[in-house]
Amino acid sequence: MTTTTGSVTGAVWAALAGVADPEIPTVSVVDMGMIKKVDVAGSTARITILPTFTGCPAVPIIKEDVERAVSSLEEIEAAIVDFSFEPPWTSDRITEEGRSKLAAFGLAPPTGKGPVLITDIGLPKVAICPFCASKNTSIDNPFGPTPCRSLYYCNACRNPFEQFKPV
Amino acid sequence: MSDSLAALLTALADDELIIGHRHSEWTGFAPHIEEDVAFSSIAQDEIGHAAAYYTRLSQLGHASDADRLALGKDTVDYRNAIICERPNGDWSYTLARHWLYDAADSVRLEALESSADHELAALATKMRREERYHLLHADTWMKRVAAGPVEGRTLLITSLGSAFAESAGLFEPIVEEEAAIEAGWLPAPSHELRARFLARTAESLEDWGLPAEVHAGLDRSAEFVASSSGDLIAGRDRPGKDSPVASHGALGGRRGHHSEDFKSLWDDMTSTYRSNPGAAW
Repeated sequence: MTTTTGSVTGAVWAALAGVADPEIPTVSVVDMGMIKKVDVAGSTARITILPTFTGCPAVPIIKEDVERAVSSLEEIEAAIVDFSFEPPWTSDRITEEGRSKLAAFGLAPPTGKGPVLITDIGLPKVAICPFCASKNTSIDNPFGPTPCRSLYYCNACRNPFEQFKPV
Repeated sequence: MSDSLAALLTALADDELIIGHRHSEWTGFAPHIEEDVAFSSIAQDEIGHAAAYYTRLSQLGHASDADRLALGKDTVDYRNAIICERPNGDWSYTLARHWLYDAADSVRLEALESSADHELAALATKMRREERYHLLHADTWMKRVAAGPVEGRTLLITSLGSAFAESAGLFEPIVEEEAAIEAGWLPAPSHELRARFLARTAESLEDWGLPAEVHAGLDRSAEFVASSSGDLIAGRDRPGKDSPVASHGALGGRRGHHSEDFKSLWDDMTSTYRSNPGAAW
């Protein structure tokens, strides 16, 4: 045994950084702030994940992808994935890098800093177009193709775009 | 495990599953495409919430898996309120029920955030943040139709009357409610949650200029039957405590009594599961 638990934990985090969100392939589960914790004991890694939305159908896929990526590490024999709702995943958990990647994917990142108060949850008054950065946008639908997205239209560059729901 | 916690989780899960199923029936059929997307997305959320409650139940050793708890049971084993299973009817009934269901759910989730079951409390905290979008959607429609042309407004008021009467079923005490309260699983009794729900919805009705009388249906919930067309008809089968014929009123769902409408919903909803129980789809 030449590696310490600390560096194995680092290797697990690095592997997680390579696991894409199945519905937004340009961001990783780490960028999305979905990893609550990583515990390594011997050759077993236990990863606790916070689902972005309770009903997200991508959750079983994320579980499989994470298990595959982590158990492929030389130091790890077993990867166990748990899901937790505590704390609730909130959109402020998305990292700065994650936000840039979302915008590059054409999905406007949630705005604001810190967890949104329950009474303030709602769509942003002004959404910024991820394609041309215009604020001249209008909402088409608070609901979209996945539970976490809403639909907007940019009046400047005339592209429809999606806005990640602040939650 | 605690039977009263299981009873509570089953009622919560079945409500979410059945209302989610009804909402999903708008997929492909809503009056316009944006609402098609909206109701489909809300349905996905509700069914996802049901799955989370069923998963909690299975963690407690109640059954092997969430699918079986949701789909592998007979109609009399469902504990959803009857309002959830009513056919969608017209758009006014769909909106009235959507608003009342989500208003009731928000009151309930707020209380459950302090449940003694730590997992349930965490789930409630998470779900309440998501449900906020459902409530915003319903509020927007209510406001718009309330202030809109008289025909739509009249239809909405009629549907609110029936949906309000039926909403009593959402606050029908669960089986073993006293034990659930005693243990802290359910932090407030159903009648108290109902009082909060009534106070909040009364405030909204006033804000939107809708008649407070639509509330009146509530106290007659046991005597009146709401048909899917939105009319109130005098009920024949007043649900008694042990009555097996509570199927036409608003109450009884929490004891497994359902309306005639439920059978066809159940047939449709469980047909795939029943074709090969236990299969992974």
